[in-house]
Amino acid sequence: MAIISWLSRLAARGPATVFPALGMRGEEALYRLALNPRIRLVDSPRHASLLLVAGGMPPEMQEPLRRVHDQLPAPFTTLWYQSEPLLELQQADTTRVDSLDALPDALVDAHRNALGGELGVSPRLLPDAPPNPWQGLGDDGRGGEGMMGGVPYGRPMAMPPTDDLRDGLALDILTFRLGPFFPLWPAGLAAEVTLQGDIVQQLSVKSPPFPRPLAPVFFEARERAVPIARLELERARHHLRALFHALHLAGLEDLALDALGLAQSCEPEAIGALEKRFRALAGRMKRRGFFALHLPACGTLGEKHAETLGGFAARAAGIDRDARLDDEGYRRLDFSVISQRKGDTRARWHQRLAEIAQSLRLAAQAQQDDAVTANLEALETPRGPWRNEELPGDASALLEELLPGLEWGEALATVASLDLAGVSQWPRP
Amino acid sequence: MILDQLIWPLLLVFAALVLGPYWLAVLDGLAARSFGLAQAQSVWISPLSRGAWLLTQQTNMTEAPDWWAWRLAPALYLSLAAIGLALVPWSREWVATDIATSLVLWGSVEALATVVIFLQGWSANTLLTLIGAYRYVALGLSYILISMFVLIGVALPAESLALTQVVASQQELWNVLRQPLGLPLFLIVGLALTFRGPFNLADSTDLAGGTSADVSGPQRLVWELARSAMLVAFSGIATTAFLGGWLGPWLPGPLWVALKMLAVLALLAWLSRAFARITPERCVSLMWTVLLPLAFVDLIWAGAEALL
Repeated sequence: MAIISWLSRLAARGPATVFPALGMRGEEALYRLALNPRIRLVDSPRHASLLLVAGGMPPEMQEPLRRVHDQLPAPFTTLWYQSEPLLELQQADTTRVDSLDALPDALVDAHRNALGGELGVSPRLLPDAPPNPWQGLGDDGRGGEGMMGGVPYGRPMAMPPTDDLRDGLALDILTFRLGPFFPLWPAGLAAEVTLQGDIVQQLSVKSPPFPRPLAPVFFEARERAVPIARLELERARHHLRALFHALHLAGLEDLALDALGLAQSCEPEAIGALEKRFRALAGRMKRRGFFALHLPACGTLGEKHAETLGGFAARAAGIDRDARLDDEGYRRLDFSVISQRKGDTRARWHQRLAEIAQSLRLAAQAQQDDAVTANLEALETPRGPWRNEELPGDASALLEELLPGLEWGEALATVASLDLAGVSQWPRP
Repeated sequence: MILDQLIWPLLLVFAALVLGPYWLAVLDGLAARSFGLAQAQSVWISPLSRGAWLLTQQTNMTEAPDWWAWRLAPALYLSLAAIGLALVPWSREWVATDIATSLVLWGSVEALATVVIFLQGWSANTLLTLIGAYRYVALGLSYILISMFVLIGVALPAESLALTQVVASQQELWNVLRQPLGLPLFLIVGLALTFRGPFNLADSTDLAGGTSADVSGPQRLVWELARSAMLVAFSGIATTAFLGGWLGPWLPGPLWVALKMLAVLALLAWLSRAFARITPERCVSLMWTVLLPLAFVDLIWAGAEALL
């Protein structure tokens, strides 16, 4: 008993290991926590001691949330940030936090208390039974042939296919559902995926990503003239946060945190140092193989999809279109459109990095000249053009055409290079 | 006699199996710090608190796993690492397994590791672990081939497949200088076989941890320990095959081996964090079209040097 107690105390000295289940408008919590060394965010619920539910959770997401909850190994507890605990957990030892500033300390305390036995272990919410009954059909009682195939518990078992998208080598087919809390693609996105080996054969989107809120300055810019420096800093912040996800996926954890740190520093008072810091980051990304080793030269957007997405994704595919050209304020700053040609995953990151550098340069220049926007009718958001009343909408359906044929890692790198979620009609708090 | 040929060598193997992963974790923490990653804890305490955390955590269950295979895979991987460490000669006398074909036995450890890693991913009966297992099997053969060619290269000047003879053959000149391609190729293979850094394709972030995505508690601790121990064994074989093993002035042989192993581990820990993860397709191309031909060149070089 003394040994267990000693081990628990030693374990509690480590960082709080947190699996974030992001709901609507929950990303701010993720970005704040990622930069805190006392918190370790993990990609699998099996690797966590804490389940953080951040943001609003629509009713249809509660069942998947229960499944994630039950995957955490004991002892664990849950913490709800700006979210209502599940009905079954309202009697359990859960922690609710509504302040972003209080969140890291609350997580560290919950971690220590859970390991120290001071918090009750979160109860299991689902029965420990197969989700579907045994089928009991076919040669081996599961509806397949020989040792393969069938749907033993209502889910397809691996079965050699007839076609292969890559090299003709037929491997087992595996169909599964992923999301809406898979942390390596946009929060809310759920899809049914069919893989052959590790090649995506088919992908069907079952629920789109949650709409992403933009900074309030983009909404203000549709109502009145706003300083271009503020707009451009928020644009750079948006792309740097996306870069954080891509670098994490590439295994470059230190650069991912550098990108996020830079995103958090995108404030008018720090404008002088930002360009230099970003150039250093971009140089390190290049030297450490982000482009040469990790990014695939695939995931090319056709003209139709590039048009649908608009914004940087369209410009990466050679469509020289940007609503900032229609703004007199930007024209006075000698704004010109940057574009690439290939439209693939690499081109999109080249484009985004170039646009971050451009935004930081424009912000510095606009701050010096006190430049403000002059067009209230059309606005280039980081996600694409916002003309009239039409905000950029969800574009996750294009994954169904874009991802088949890609290896799993290439597919995720492709998703990370895109902004698929629609823009929320409410600004970021 | 028994002390030199059995007790001391076995104690050293056991010490390397326990302390090696701890030192690797410390070196990894230092490497992380050198890349600017802030840490909440001292690098000396951090591995201990992580170990304690995993020990106090529940070992989870997935839906209908191959229970025995799943529980055994980490232990088997650790056993393979122990076999690898048993081959390392700490001095002319202190060798736990001093056989005439120790290089061949090391080759079999690398080959069996493929089976064990596949077992770990497949037996969990979950999708991301299975993809990790597939990936490793698809790439494992290319790693093993490179390793074998490079190790045949060091056997040629020794005219023996025994690691003690390989060390003895480096009395005049270490193989790291005699065969300059050998050590870099072997270290790359080491990273690939223990799936670390740019070659971490089996337990990668895009698979949320791959073969260990659905493992928790003590079982995960054993798996992580085994992965680290395998890299320690790799550093032991690299030290023996390329860095003159126990050879060195002033200090006792076992101390030289330990210091050289630590230097190799420090380099591998740094390399693990230095580069982005390579895509599987590029990894296959790199192995078969660049590194394997380089391993041939290394072998031809070693053969020509042995003839002269």
